[in-house]
This record gives sequence, structure tokens and C-alpha cells, in this order.
Amino acid sequence: MAPVAASNPANRGRDNLESTWAYLEENVEKVMTKLREGVDMKTYMGVYTRVHNFCTSQKPTTTSPAGAAHSASRGAHLLGQEIYDKLGEYLSKHLAEVNARADTHTDEALLSFYIREWKRYTDAAKYNNHLFKYLNRHWVKREMDEGKKNIYDIYTLHLVKWKDDFFQKVQERVMQAVLKLVEKQRNGETIEQLQVKAIVDSFVSLGLDENDPTKSTLDVYRRYFEAPFLTATKDYYQRESKLFVAENSVVEYMKKAEARLDEEKERVGLYLHPDIMKKLMDVCNEALITDHSLLLRDEFQVLLDNERVDDLTRMYKLLSRIKDGLDPLRNRFEAHVRKAGLASVDKVASSGDNFEPKVYIDALLDIHSKYQQLVTVAFTGESEFVRSLDNACKEFVNRNEVCKSNSSRSPELLAKYTDQLLKKGAKAADESELEDLLLQIMVVFKYIEDKDVFQKFYSRMLAKRLVNVSSVSDDAETSMISKLKEACGFEYTNKLQRMFQDIQVSKDLNSAYKDWYDKVMEDSSKKRTIDSTYQILGTSFWPLNPPNSPFSPPTEVNEAIDAFKRFYDGKHTGRKLTWLWQLCKGEVRANYVKQGKVPYTFMVSTYQMAVLLLFNEQETLDYADIKEYTQLSDDILDTAVMGVFQKARVVTATPEGGKPEAGTKYTLNRGFKNKKLKVNLNVPIKSEQKTESDETHKTVEEDRKLLLQAVIVRIMKGRKKLRHVQLVEEVITQVKNRFPPKVSDIKKNIDILMEKDYIERLDNDELAYIA
Amino acid sequence: MAETKAEQPRLTLASSDGEDIPVDKDVAERSVLIKNMVSDLGEEAMTEAIPIPNVNAAVLKKVIEWCTHHRADPPAPTDDDSDSRKKTTDIEEWDQKFMQVDQEMLFEIILAANYLDIKQLLDVGCKTVANMIKGKSPEEIRKTFNIQNDFTPEEEDQIRRENEWAEDR
Repeated sequence: MAPVAASNPANRGRDNLESTWAYLEENVEKVMTKLREGVDMKTYMGVYTRVHNFCTSQKPTTTSPAGAAHSASRGAHLLGQEIYDKLGEYLSKHLAEVNARADTHTDEALLSFYIREWKRYTDAAKYNNHLFKYLNRHWVKREMDEGKKNIYDIYTLHLVKWKDDFFQKVQERVMQAVLKLVEKQRNGETIEQLQVKAIVDSFVSLGLDENDPTKSTLDVYRRYFEAPFLTATKDYYQRESKLFVAENSVVEYMKKAEARLDEEKERVGLYLHPDIMKKLMDVCNEALITDHSLLLRDEFQVLLDNERVDDLTRMYKLLSRIKDGLDPLRNRFEAHVRKAGLASVDKVASSGDNFEPKVYIDALLDIHSKYQQLVTVAFTGESEFVRSLDNACKEFVNRNEVCKSNSSRSPELLAKYTDQLLKKGAKAADESELEDLLLQIMVVFKYIEDKDVFQKFYSRMLAKRLVNVSSVSDDAETSMISKLKEACGFEYTNKLQRMFQDIQVSKDLNSAYKDWYDKVMEDSSKKRTIDSTYQILGTSFWPLNPPNSPFSPPTEVNEAIDAFKRFYDGKHTGRKLTWLWQLCKGEVRANYVKQGKVPYTFMVSTYQMAVLLLFNEQETLDYADIKEYTQLSDDILDTAVMGVFQKARVVTATPEGGKPEAGTKYTLNRGFKNKKLKVNLNVPIKSEQKTESDETHKTVEEDRKLLLQAVIVRIMKGRKKLRHVQLVEEVITQVKNRFPPKVSDIKKNIDILMEKDYIERLDNDELAYIA
Repeated sequence: MAETKAEQPRLTLASSDGEDIPVDKDVAERSVLIKNMVSDLGEEAMTEAIPIPNVNAAVLKKVIEWCTHHRADPPAPTDDDSDSRKKTTDIEEWDQKFMQVDQEMLFEIILAANYLDIKQLLDVGCKTVANMIKGKSPEEIRKTFNIQNDFTPEEEDQIRRENEWAEDR
């Protein structure tokens, strides 16, 4: 590259540049201003070729020694800088004129002007980008590859110039016009939405990434459009909501706010950039909700009291949009439900102690289902509200007016109600209805803290249903047991299931006994005098006590049970049978009554049977004789046997109305009359039930003690050593799904176990298991 | 297919020495310059011959021959540094044959490809020249391209020292 300077190269270069640029400027001007009239092919090819020829002309136009050295170090020198600079100057000059014309417009006219000019300018930019393509491909590319700042491809150069020489001067006025337009729309006027959209698009296009010109950023848009837009929005809604709240009810305000929020959301889709959505919503939420959240929350109680579901839904939706908006509602909701539950129970309790279990359980369920529905409908079943509901229900189920004296009243009443449903002869509910009711029982059960009390009562009542064969159906019993098992685990229902099994086993046993009896007694002269069936119940599973009265069974019964004993001992050795006379029953036929063709049948307890059979020998008996023969204790004989007989006029007393005591004589009433042929004399005595319930409560305490000790031993056996505090905690977690244990009780039982040498105290406040 | 080919719109290119050469549109559009112009001005504006002031008829025909052969090629990868572009030896057979022309024509084709913005043809041309240089000593290269040695011996020495690292050993 030896400088071959025949003529003056600098002069020739300048001539070349000036003539080239003169030609280019003329045609670029045409593209800029008259593009719509079209550009002809010759011009198109002409401009491209002139740029090409300029860039490929042999010598650099200006060569300073420094520049030459510099260009030598980076290889071949490329031409183009001068044209690039000239084009930039031209664009600045052009935009200055545009700016001057913009000054004559305001508001919507300015918007129209901006949009029109933007369209024209960018269309021209695309054209020029092609016409100067050769510059892009070589000079611009080389400059950019070398990391030069502020060199752009020709299209981007147009945008940069627009931004610096026009946009910066006019953007504030443009935004004012945009905001005025949007405010008009918020006030209900119809506007030219596409104008705003065009402005947004233009602002977005101007976001150029300085580091990588092929990428765009939202910086320009965010700074010049988004920020003022958000500020204006916030101002607008703060102003509007303040005025609206002053003149309207809270409910009306919520409707208004809801509508406004929907509107703004829609606005984004219509003509804003999707990027603004979250920020716009935040601004609206703050102005429309956060600023008024106290007011809204104060209305919550009013809406709850008046059961305004729609408005509650609206309030939930609004407050759920802001941070921590719902917490205060949840607390109030919980308190409200608790109050409602307590009030509902108070109403039941106010009518005295003798309410039906159903009434009580229904009172609990009513409140629960009412507010559960509210949670589902108005609060979209949100889990935190569900928890508030659960907390409230737990509270009023376990601590209310009815449970005031005894916290285990709720489980007792629930068990009783369940018993009523599962007992034969209750209002015949069909299967699916019964299943629904059982499910509702499980709803209350879930909230019961003293689950062990429920278990106790339930097992007693189940025992009775099974022994008396009074279950409405095996399916229903099984269904209930499996529900309890699901809720509390295998251990909780183990005994219940074993009871159920015993009954099934006993059925088979009875038919086996019949076969055996027929075979063995065939030859025997002792013919069976009474038909008998037996239930063999495992002592440890059944909550049953041995009879509390001595009893000498009549001969007929004795013969029957002797035979069964022989059979049973032959099957199992070493099993002791205890006869639970108080649960036995039978039927006797009153052949002595003359009336009618078909004799009456009396359904009686075994005790009653023993007394009636005595009358087979004698028409009249003295109280003392009856007592002598049967050995029954006074309280049973007096009320459950003689009292019932006398009342039903099975016997008559002499003297008339005589008290059950020695000297009173009883005569069989041969003239007995009743509407039914089957007469049930085996009726439970009221006082019996009461004592039974008290007893059950008493055993609960004892059982809890044992359970606590069992759990303590189990834990200690596993851990060997444990600190006192940890042991107490561990016990609580293991026991709490049965009942809420008192810490003092746990400590007491730890002490008991230490006395019994199950565990010992070490020096460092640790307890140890003694193997 | 045959039918659509028959209806393929045709453009006319006017060479610098005044010859009109008709050519199928898709062939002409291998040139990004022509492609851009057709899309900018609209197809209906192509009523007369497109002036190609920098290319004479002989070279233009040669370029059209290449474009016709490569009319169905996928567009050039936009990534400048892709490996396939850098491998000088990698010239397909047809192109090698196509480039067997005298040196003057070869350089004319390269200039035309650069002007018309036909990247792949430009690559093929440059690769051909590169292959001509490869493995040759400076003296052989001067001979090949008929270049006069205008370095002074001092200059030559300095350059050799600066580029020692690139020598084969």
C-alpha cells in the first residue's frame, strides 16, 4: 500500500463525497417526504449503486498520519463513515423541521400528528435501510464488530435520531395528551383507543439495548409512558374513591371498585402493553382497596349479620387482592361463627336438660353447614377460612352451655344420637338418608376433643344393639365403624370390630349347638323344655359388667344352660362362662288366660320369667316366697319385676296397692287383657339409664389414667432416657387425638409409674426406663 | 409443479453494457439486493428492465447461471461464523467446475456477488481464491496473481519476523 499520489487524493476524495452525497440527499429527501408517490427502479438501483461505489472506491478520502497507522493495524480500511455521518446530519435537520411543525399542535391533534409522522418516518427508515444496505453490510458491521459505541445499522440510526432529536422534545406533551384521553375514557366518553395503542407501540420501538442493538428493551416505554400513566391512574382513583365513599354506602363502593378493576384489566388488553398489567393492578389495588381497607373491614360484621352472601363474596375478592387483606376478616369470621354456635346451643339448653340428643346435634350441624356453605360460596373454599371455621366449630362444640358442667357431654350426646339412628324402630330412614346422617355425625365427631368418651358411649350402645339384636342393619353398623376407623385409626375401633365378630361367631355356634343337641339328646328322656340361643362375648372387648344381683334361675333355664355348657366345654376347654342374666330375655305364653283363641305372649327378662314360672305351681304367692325362690335383690325385684307386673295387671296384689314387702300376696290375673297379642314387659327403667351414663363418665377418668400410663411406658421403653419436658410433650402429641390431656395429669401418672418402679429419675432431670 | 413453474414471473436485468437478460424471479432473488427492491417497490412496478449498472453482460450471465443452479438452495445461514463457511476446502463439485474460469472473470464474479449481495456465491468465489493461495510461498503467490513485489528488503524482513509464529516447522 504505497501511497501513489498522482493528483491530490484528498481533493479528489472530497469531490467524490460531495457529488455522491448531493445525489443521495436528493433521493433520501424523496423517500422521506414523497414515499407515497413511489420510488422508481432507476433511483432505487442508483442510490444503492452510488453507496456501493463510494464504499468501494480505492482510497480513503481523508488520511491523517495517525489515522493511517490506526487503520493499518486493523487491516483493510473500509469507507463509509462520511456517508453515515452525512445521513445522520440530514436526519437531525429533518427532525428539527418535524419538531417545529409539532409545536403548532396540541392534545389530540398532537397525537394524530405524532402518529402520522412516526408512520411516515419509520416507513422511510425501512426503505433507507435497504438503500444503504451496502453500508450496513460492511462499514457498519466492521465498526460494530470492533465494539464501537453509537454506531447503528441504518434503520436503528433512524430510531436513535428520532428519539434524540424529536421524541425527547415532544414526549412530555404527547403523554399529557394521552393521559387526558384516557381520563376522558375513564369518565365515560368514547375515545380513539387506537391512538393510544400507536403511541405505546412507538415508545416501545424506541427502547434500544445499548449493549446489543439487535435487541430491544422496554426502558424508554417504562420511563416515559408507564411511569406517568401509573401516577395519573393512582391520582385519578384516589380522587374518585374518596368522593364516592363520602356519598355512598360501602356496598355500593365495593361494586364500583370491582367494576373499575375489571375495566382497568380490560384496558390493558385493549391498548396498553401487557407488561404494565401487574403494576397497573398494584396501583389500582392500592388506591381502590388498600386505602379503604379499614372501611371495608368494618362493614364485614354487618354483612355477616345480615347474611349478604353476594356482598361478602365481593369483599373477599377485593381484599384478597391486597397483601394481608384477609387476615382480619378471618379472625372476625371465626369469632362470629363461634358466637353463632354458642347462641344456637344456648337456645337448646334454655329449654331444660331433657332435650333430645338430635336437637343438640342438629343445633351444632346447622351452624356448621350454614357457615361452611358461606366459606364455599363467598370465600371460594379458601383453606385459611376453612381453618377459621374449624377452629370456631371446635370451640363451640367442646365448650358451650350444655358442656358447661361436664366437658364430655358433647361426645355423649353425639353417641346417643348415633345410637338412635342405628337402632331399629327409629324413624325409618332409607339407606342413603341414613348414610348422609352418619356423615353428618362424622362432621361433629371431627370437632370433638374427648374422642375417648365418644368411644366409650358408642361401644356400650353398640353392645346393647348387638345383644338385643336391635341394629337397623349390619351394613349401617359396618359403615359407621369404618368411618370411625378412617378418622381415628385401627386401635380406636378394634374393640368395636371384635364385638361385631363375636356376634357373627355366635350365630354359627348356635346352629352347631342345635345339631349337637339333637344328636346327643335323642335317646335322653330329658326332652328340651325351652328353645334357647346363646351369645358368647369376649370379656375384654365388651363393655359389660356381671350381674349386680344374685339370681337363682328356674329349673327349666338351668337344664337348658347345663346342656349348652356340656356342648361348649366339649368344644373349648378352660373357658369360663359368666352368665349375664341382666341381659337375658325370653318369651312366655300365657296359656292360663281364658280370653280369645290365641294366647297372649309376654316378652320378658329372665328375671321376670323366673317369677312368672313360679305361678305354674301356685296361683298366689307371697312376696317373701318369691324373694326366697329367685334370690333377686330388692331393687330389681321390686321395680323391674313386681312393679312392672302390677302396672301391666299381669298380677294383682293383696291388699290392693300393697307395697312389695313380705306379707303382700300376688295373684295371677286370669282376666288379663291387652290390645296386642304380644306384650312387652321387658322395659328399661329411667333411673337405670341415668346411672349408667354417670358410670360411663366415671370410667372415662379411670381409662384415661391407664391410657396415659400405657403411653408413658411405651415411649420410655422406646427411648430409654428422656427429659421430663420432652416426655410430657411426646405424650400430648400421642394422646391428643383421643382427648386433650392435662399436663398435671401426665405428671401425676409419671409419679405413679415411678412409685411402681417402671421408670426412675436420674440426676440430670432425665427419666429412665427400668427394664 | 410444472404449471407453477411455467407461470413463474420473469424479470429483466439490464447489464451495464446495455444487454437485457430475462430471468425467472426466484433466480433473480438469490440476490438480496433485487429481492429487497422487488418487495420494496412491489412486483407490479417491475415493468421495465432492472438496471444493473455495475455488472456487464458476460459476468451477469455467469452469475445468473450460478443462481439458476442454486435457485432451490435454502437461504444462507445468518450466522456469520458458522463452521461450514470457514472451511475453504469445502466447495461442492458443481461450484468447483463453475469457478474454473480465467482469473479476471473469477474476480469479476466476486465483485458482482458482493455488489448484488449474493452471499453464498461470494463465499464460493473467495474460497476458490483462498485455495489458490493455500500452501504457496509469497513468491509463488506473486506469480499466480501477477503481483509486483513492492516491499523493500528491510520491510520484507520485518514482516517475516512479525509473522514467524505462523510458519510451518
